[in-house]
Amino acid sequence: MKRTFAITLILALLLALAGTPLSADGHERWDGADDLAVNPLACGMGDEMMDEGEDMEEDMEMMEYDGGMVAMGDDMAGMDITLVDVPKLVGIGYFAATTLGQQQAAEELGNVSVTTDAPTEANIDDQIQVIDSYITAGVDGILFAANDPVAIAPVLRKALEAGIHVVGYDANSEPDAREWFVNQAEFNGIAKALVDSLADQMGAEASFGIVTSTFTTPNQARWIAEMWAYASECYPDLTWLETLEAQEDAVLSFQQAQTLINKYGEDLDGIFAMTSVATPNGADAVQQAGVCEDVAVVGLATPNGMKPYVNSGCVRDVILWNPVDLGYAAVYVMRAVVDGEFQPGDASVSAGRLGDLVVVNGSEVLLGPPFTFTADNINDFDF
Amino acid sequence: MKSKTSPPRNPTLGEKLHHLLISQEGVLFVIMLVSVLFLATRTDKFLTVDNLLQQGRFMTEVGLIAIPMTYIIITGGIDLSVGSILGLTAIVLGWTWQELGFPLELAIITGILSGTIAGFVNGLFIVRVGVPPLIMTLATLALYRGLAEGISEARSARGYPEWFFQLGQGEFLGIPTQLWLLIIAVVIFGIILARTRLGRALYAIGNNETGARFSGLTVNRYLLFIYTFSGFMSGVAGYIFVSRVSTTRSDMGTGIELDVIAAVVLGGTSIFGGTGSIPGTIVGVVLIQLLKNGLTLSGVTSDATIVVIGSVLIFAILVNNFIQSRRSEN
Repeated sequence: MKRTFAITLILALLLALAGTPLSADGHERWDGADDLAVNPLACGMGDEMMDEGEDMEEDMEMMEYDGGMVAMGDDMAGMDITLVDVPKLVGIGYFAATTLGQQQAAEELGNVSVTTDAPTEANIDDQIQVIDSYITAGVDGILFAANDPVAIAPVLRKALEAGIHVVGYDANSEPDAREWFVNQAEFNGIAKALVDSLADQMGAEASFGIVTSTFTTPNQARWIAEMWAYASECYPDLTWLETLEAQEDAVLSFQQAQTLINKYGEDLDGIFAMTSVATPNGADAVQQAGVCEDVAVVGLATPNGMKPYVNSGCVRDVILWNPVDLGYAAVYVMRAVVDGEFQPGDASVSAGRLGDLVVVNGSEVLLGPPFTFTADNINDFDF
Repeated sequence: MKSKTSPPRNPTLGEKLHHLLISQEGVLFVIMLVSVLFLATRTDKFLTVDNLLQQGRFMTEVGLIAIPMTYIIITGGIDLSVGSILGLTAIVLGWTWQELGFPLELAIITGILSGTIAGFVNGLFIVRVGVPPLIMTLATLALYRGLAEGISEARSARGYPEWFFQLGQGEFLGIPTQLWLLIIAVVIFGIILARTRLGRALYAIGNNETGARFSGLTVNRYLLFIYTFSGFMSGVAGYIFVSRVSTTRSDMGTGIELDVIAAVVLGGTSIFGGTGSIPGTIVGVVLIQLLKNGLTLSGVTSDATIVVIGSVLIFAILVNNFIQSRRSEN
């Protein structure tokens, strides 16, 4: 009996140990932000951002190309090429949109064929195995969106060594494991757009919570880190209540938003939703709780999922880039690399209907500034 | 000399072969051969030494964990927490090295030790408190994953020195390093299960736990051992995994328990306990890995691949059940 009691006590202690860090609130910076250096943009709205953006580009041009080098293979310039696209996972609207953009680019170019294949769950090991199989099968180029920047690197290096061109989009790997990365929007730009929108809607002394995917997902972690940096510089009176994980799961996202609403009640002025799943479900939770006026949902999402909430007036701003353009640009960059038209040291690359895209951070191609969908324009988009 | 017909006649080679072929493992092995031959006709990239060795590298973690899982399922138990233990081990390894400044060798040992302790805690509660294995390991599936996230604070540990990757990414005598480990483990633990007192005790527990207790077997000690062993092997798998992907993340090994259990059950181990073998399990592990790889190589996308694997699993179990029931009627 005594022994049973002692063991129960140990388990309780273990549980407490496991629970403590998870329940710690924002002030301890338990926020999913990673340790990498942050680069917050200057405070303020609108025009200033553009100026700042240009300044940054000047800084970035100083950086040398830090991408990888592909082993010499056959010269495929102008010839038909077969690409495989390995996003984080298949079966969600966001990557369906990037796939659509890739198919549009392939059709325009006429000499590219792209197949999309990825695991049905965002799992690092499954993604590695899929890429490895395509290296063995033999393709001319790999497009990827990494589930983990470091874990994916060895298999991408193997592709480069095998003479396969590698271009990333959406989620980066270590720079030397791929040639170029199409950056949909810089982290600090997204962070600024999100925080500005909330402060504009609910005031500079608002309190907010965050619903993210998982604390380890690289994009979300970087955005949150930049939001932290930007908010503490420009809106020091914003109160960071709590960050909750919701995977990329619809039901869980809804529940986590509900948790924030119920737990903080009147104190909660806003919810940042960091994924295209969390934003519509967070908005749904707010709408069902009837607190649209008191809680502003600001998040990243694709327009189709957000139309009901934006059109009903429950959500004002949806921040994102255009994922169709992102996939489109990735294929154009790949084609230019294969043709030898886009080489290390170049300052820009031509990407069909998107015009010239600038190179930033050494080996990244910037898609452009983030885009805000509002009631005025959201119905013009269909993805 | 007069030749005598000895009453307990030794079976001829043909009979032995027939016996082997209609055993659980034999049937599965034939299914595997058929699948491999079929896939080889679909693409010439599949049946190459390089590709097969690479698949060996990918399946090592699942294979290592499948060994203790076979032991556990033979006793009629289950361990759902193996994926979380793998994640916990990875995080402890990275955290003690990067945050606490342990030498990397010590961090590896600490990581594997923490996995072993995690398995021991499972065993302790199952044996002493009498929590059913399914419930206990379902609880620790969440608990250990939570610990991993809590300890790591969602940060990854990266930047290991070159020698650390030898196990996960290197080769020894032309074969991926970790595959040697799997082969050695399979031979040793296969013999232990088939030929020793420990092995026979596990079958006895699975067939009739009460009976085993009254026969004087130290059932609790055996059970405590196999759950600890499961934690240890998950820990080793965690170390190999970190070495292979060169980073630690708290979500490592998520869902691996289902891959492992699928391979063990496919390999002919009854989920009710009492039957099963290590060779069967390994054929199960290899079959699933080769199907995954071969289908991708022949142009089947991942979402269709998991449908095929699910169908093969059901098919293999049906065929095996059919043959085994025919066999027992004879």
